[in-house]
Amino acid sequence: MGADLTSSLRVSAAGMDAQTSRIRVIAENLANQNTTGSAPGAEAYRRRTVSFQNRLDKAAGLETVSVRRVGRDRSEQPLRYDPSNPAADKSGYVKLPNVNSFIELMDMRDAEQSYSANLNVAATTRTMLNRTLDLLK
Amino acid sequence: MSLLRNDLFSTAEQRLAWTSERQAVLARNIANLSTPGFQASDTRPFNQVLRGMTGTQPMRTNDNHLKGTIDPGLSIRANKETGARTADKNGVRMEDQLMRVADTETLHSTVTAIYKKYVGMFGIVLGRAG
Repeated sequence: MGADLTSSLRVSAAGMDAQTSRIRVIAENLANQNTTGSAPGAEAYRRRTVSFQNRLDKAAGLETVSVRRVGRDRSEQPLRYDPSNPAADKSGYVKLPNVNSFIELMDMRDAEQSYSANLNVAATTRTMLNRTLDLLK
Repeated sequence: MSLLRNDLFSTAEQRLAWTSERQAVLARNIANLSTPGFQASDTRPFNQVLRGMTGTQPMRTNDNHLKGTIDPGLSIRANKETGARTADKNGVRMEDQLMRVADTETLHSTVTAIYKKYVGMFGIVLGRAG
């Protein structure tokens, strides 16, 4: 048998770590939901996306989870007519960030739920570890 | 029947090792709740492990072979067809996994309690109560 309870704790910690990076990217997106470009006709802030992968932690000999890539959402940016904006192009349109706050909020809920699931598993594992140690008493 | 001739100690040890293994597998499933294409796995039922029905196992015949992280005889990966329910082909259902974690914890608690009681019986035989 390979895995012990300490390695379960490590896997749960990696899970929480991954969800934390996801929350960070969501915060970044929400903070920048009104960030337009500075030069005329420039692109506005592009929404960032995060994706996970199942990864082999060679040092610990465990399969854990980690962030594979933080990418950019390539979808089209909406335009708004605002000739007074410094980022407006020749015809007076400004590119707006492709961030949808509803999507971000739903994503945040999901990340939060996954985080607490990992936390629950870690708490259970700790209880089991303590109970095993109690056998010595 | 003698206390020592009973193989309760080794059975308890096996069962505790099995719960540790299962906890690690379930922790991995839950950590990968949002990993695209990940399929949940679980360990073989304990009665199969006890009867040595762990199936054919790969052997390490060369030092260059990877050792693997989880005992291949113990871990089974779920069926793809029944697992994947989301657009990113992730087959982990959180509720189901958390139920399994709770189940594993209950089992672990039972085994440690029995183990303690059993050790306590030695105390009684030796003239020490408890």
